[in-house]
This record gives sequence, structure tokens and C-alpha cells, in this order.
Amino acid sequence: MSILYSFKVAWVALKTNKVRSFLTILGIVIGIAAVVAMMSLGAGAQHLIVGQIMSMGSNNIFIEPGAFDPKKTSIMEARMEEAEIKTLKISDAQAIKNLPEIEEVAPFVIGVEKVIYKDVSKKITFIGTTPAAHIIEATEVTLGRDFTDAEVKSQARVAVLGYKIAQDLFGNENPIGKIIRIKKTNFRVIGVLEERGTQTFMNLDDFVYVPVTTAQKLLLGINHLKWIVAKAKSKDVIDEAVEDIRLLLRERHNIYNPKGDLTKDDFKVMSQVEAANILSSVMGVFTLFLSSIAAIALVVGGIGIMNIMLVSVTERTKEIGLRKAVGARKKDILYQFLIEAIVLTSVGGVVGIVLGILGSFFGSLVFGKMLYMQWKFFISLKAIVLGVGVAVVVGLVFGIYPARKASQLSPIEALRYE
Amino acid sequence: MIEAKDIKKIYPGIVPTVALDGVSFVIKEGEFVAIVGPSGSGKSTLMHIMGFLDRPTSGVYKFRGKSIDELDDDQLARIRNKEMGFVFQSFNLLPRTTVLDNVKLPLLYSGIAREQQDRMAREALEKVGLSHRLFHYPNQLSGGEQQRVAIARAIVNHPSVIFADEPTGNLDSKSGQQIMDILQNLNDQGHTIILVTHEKYTAQMAKRIIQLKDGRIVDDQIVACRRLAKDGLIK
Repeated sequence: MSILYSFKVAWVALKTNKVRSFLTILGIVIGIAAVVAMMSLGAGAQHLIVGQIMSMGSNNIFIEPGAFDPKKTSIMEARMEEAEIKTLKISDAQAIKNLPEIEEVAPFVIGVEKVIYKDVSKKITFIGTTPAAHIIEATEVTLGRDFTDAEVKSQARVAVLGYKIAQDLFGNENPIGKIIRIKKTNFRVIGVLEERGTQTFMNLDDFVYVPVTTAQKLLLGINHLKWIVAKAKSKDVIDEAVEDIRLLLRERHNIYNPKGDLTKDDFKVMSQVEAANILSSVMGVFTLFLSSIAAIALVVGGIGIMNIMLVSVTERTKEIGLRKAVGARKKDILYQFLIEAIVLTSVGGVVGIVLGILGSFFGSLVFGKMLYMQWKFFISLKAIVLGVGVAVVVGLVFGIYPARKASQLSPIEALRYE
Repeated sequence: MIEAKDIKKIYPGIVPTVALDGVSFVIKEGEFVAIVGPSGSGKSTLMHIMGFLDRPTSGVYKFRGKSIDELDDDQLARIRNKEMGFVFQSFNLLPRTTVLDNVKLPLLYSGIAREQQDRMAREALEKVGLSHRLFHYPNQLSGGEQQRVAIARAIVNHPSVIFADEPTGNLDSKSGQQIMDILQNLNDQGHTIILVTHEKYTAQMAKRIIQLKDGRIVDDQIVACRRLAKDGLIK
């Protein structure tokens, strides 16, 4: 019997058992689709977050209080624990600005407070900074104006609202010139920022910007900074700029550290590229987590395929016996079941890939909409190879193994099998 | 045509079961032999060995001069396909498969061209009077009709021997009589028929009866007064 003929026999057998074929394919489809969708979405998320860090301007340098600790790689973790180091001052920011490689410097403080306008009140994150922040972040004030350096100097009680907070508080009203209350202090709204969307899971349109001095004195009662962002004049001078900032701050903070041991400093300086690398490694963990979910999906899918293959071939032992009785050789039986398994796994594989890609495509659309972000849609080739590989191997092994066993029985033993 | 010498079949186990305990006989081309005996006498086992469905534990079994010991499984499959036809008590038709495709099954493994397969299957079904049922499914047929499909499948490749294992066992007497009539006709056309049965009446429609008991032949004689199925009901 030719291979072509085996194909026909297998095809007829599959067609005859539509429900069983469908269930087998379904198991394969789910396994592969889950893996493909998971890994594609994971790759998309990683690309998105790293890309957003880079989009903030790759010339940026971050200066944070607290020494470099090689064990703590997460920025968030470091920020939370080192928040009490009070040595970083506005005067440091001004000194950094005078370095030859630096174009702009913005000091930052941050806090959470309730903001009240008439009878509307809302918990918001306020950021104290200087006009330079919006230059560095390339954000535009679309309504009204930004506060000025003079207003920073004079601790003016003025506020620039994020797009969403302006909407929440004022609706259709024009917010410019209105008075809002933050922590028992009246602020005059002078500007509204453009809509910026979400970045690293924070909605940037929910922030309220006030002069850094005002935030320090009236809202936080501190005179240190939470972080400084400096923008280098070009990419080529970033490394020099980082080193110069370190030397400058050591001098200003009276730290004797001629060997440049980063753990002895009371601050750390990190370029945008380094920050992206660190975040990328954090995202690696995230992707690993997604991948392990995908692996579980694959194992479950594999067990599904295994089950249905084992059951469907075993319950056909009688059929195998009959086919042998009327003249089928071992080879004929094996070819038939091999081809059946190949057809099932490849149909399931193709449908699974298509569904997985569609799933991750719509997933990226939905996430993009939900988080107001440009979520890039990825097709993970690795996932496709992995998913299909496992499904095919499992499908073939558990499709052929019982068939092989049955084909080795004498026809009468197989016929009598119940 | 068929030559058995001191055939033994022992099923292994803690207490080995002796199904056949030294059976010898010769069957010539064109015979119609009934193998009878109480259940457990080894008649089905004997038929399976004669039909190359199982191998004896010891003894010599020759079909058309070829010993089963000299043939590998694939060669046995080929001989089953070309020279033998099987009819089982429980029909053993493939479910969800049309009558025509069921009958074609042996041809799939015979290397016969597709167009010819169709013609041969239709011819075989005509012989058993089921030309009007080609595209029905087994579960749409009566037991008698199903068994006639099985007979059509057995004769589709023009085998020289037809093995029938209790072919009337699951049927009412009228359907059984039809089946026996068909078998007698096939014998008249030159097919050798080996029939396993436990019914005396059915056995007397054969030309020769071999009686088994406890794995041995206790009687082997020509039927003196043969019944013809077309003459009337068996019982």
C-alpha cells in the first residue's frame, strides 16, 4: 500500500470520527495558542516599557540620594528605602547645571495629597520641580503657561495640572486662574499640560506640577530633593557628564573618595541607558513569569493531546484487529496512525498559531487602549517553534505508541480487545 | 489445501490453558466443513489458527503447501488478504463507515486500482442481495443485513477459503437461514468454507463435520443427510 493510499485511509478515518478529531485538534490548538499569545504579549510589554524609558530622552542622567548598592537593582526599591537621605539639595542641581556637558537640570520632589476644587476633591500626586522639567521631558503646556524661574524663586503658589486631573476637577470649565486647595494652601491654576498617557504603569496626566520650592516648604516641609534629572548636551558626552557629576557632588558633599568607590557615595548617578538596562532586566523576570505560565499551558495542552490520542487509539484496537485480519500489515497500520497524528497536529498547530497571533494582536490593542499606550504587536517566533514542537512531539508519540502496540498484537487479540 | 498435524495451542498463565491438544486433519479445496463442539472445546481457536489470525504453540500447519512457521507476519497478512475471507459472529463492521467502504476494506490493502475496487465491492454486495444499501451505515441495517455486508467483505477479493465463526449466532432463525443459503451458494461456486458453530442444524448444512471436545477431535465424518437452507427454516 502506497503512502498516498495511507493518506486516504487516514483521511477517511479522521472524517469518520469528526468529534474525536475535533477534540484532539482543540487540545493542540489551546496549547499552542496559549504559548504563542503569552510570549508575544510578554515581548510587547518588554519592548513598550524599555522603549518608553528611552523615549524620555536618551541623553538624560538621573541623580538620586543614597549610595549605589549592587544588591538593589530596582529603582523603585532603592527610592523607597533611601528616601530618608537628605543630602541632595537644590544648590546641587544648580551646580550641576554649570558643568560644561550639561544642557538642562531639573530638581524633583514628590508627594501625595488631596486636591480640592469647590466640592470636588481628589487624591493626586504632586511634583515639585522647575520649568526645566518640561523642557527635559519635552512636554508642552497647551493651555495657559508654565511657571517661571522667578515663581520658583519666590515660592509662588501656582500649579500646572495634568490633562486628566484638569478634566476631573473642572470638566468643561476653563481652569486657568481658578483657585484649588492642596494641603490647606491655595494654589492658582496657571496651565494645563498636553495629554501624555501612561508610562511605566503611571498615568502621567494625573500629576499636578508646582514650583519645587513651594512643594518643599509648604507641602512637604523638607529642604532636600528626591531626585535630579540632568540632560547632557549630546550622547557622546554622557559618560563624561556622569563622571563629572560624581566628582562635583563628592566635593560638594565633602566625601573623600579618590578611588571612585560608588558604595561610599551618598548619591548615585545613572544614565538613561543604564536605567533602561536595569528595567530591561526587571522585565526579563516578568517575561520569565509569563513564559512559565505559557509553559504550564503547554504542559496542560500536551497532557490533553496525550490523553485524547491514547484514548482514541486504544479504543480503536478492535478496528486495528479487523484491518489486520483483512490483510493490513503492521506498516499499513502504523502509517495510517502516523498520518492521522500528523494531520491532527499540523491542523491543530496552524490553527493554534493563527489563534495565538490573533489573540496577542487583539490583546495588544486592548492593553494599548486600556493603558493609553502604543503597545507594539509582536509575533514571537520562539513561541511558535516551542509550541508547535511540543504539540507535534507529544501528538506523534502518543498517537503512534499505542498504535504500534496494537499493531503488534495478533489480529485475534486485537479483535477481542474491549 | 489445508493440512494440520498435531496442532497444539496453549495459552500461558499461572495455570496454562490448553485450547488445542494435538489436532490433525486435512481439508481439500471445495469442501464445506463445520467445526462443532461445546464452548471451550477449542473450535474458535482452531479456526483462528487455520485463518492465520493466530499461531499454534506447536505442530505443523500448512496452507496451500506453505507452513505457517516459514511465513512472517507481513506474508501472513498478504495471504489473509488474497486467499481468505472472514465472517465473525459480531459482524465487526467499521462504525460510521458506509456499507460500500466497509466492503472495500480488504481491497485497500491489496494494491488493486481504485476504479476496480468500487466495481468489485458492488459485485460482492450484489451477490449478498444488498445493492440497494450501498451508502447506508451499519447502524441503519438489521443484524442479518450487517452479516451479509460482512460476507460481502469476506468475498470481495475472491478468496479461496471463507472462515465463518458462528455467523448465525447473533441472528434470528430467518436471517440465519439467509446467511447459510449464501454460504452454500458460495460453496457451490467453488469457495472452500470452514464454519464454526455450536448449532446441530446449522452444522448439518455443511458437507463434513469435525467435532471437537476438550481440544481434541472426537468425530470427523461426511454429512449423510445434508440440509439445504433454501428448503426452509432451520428450526
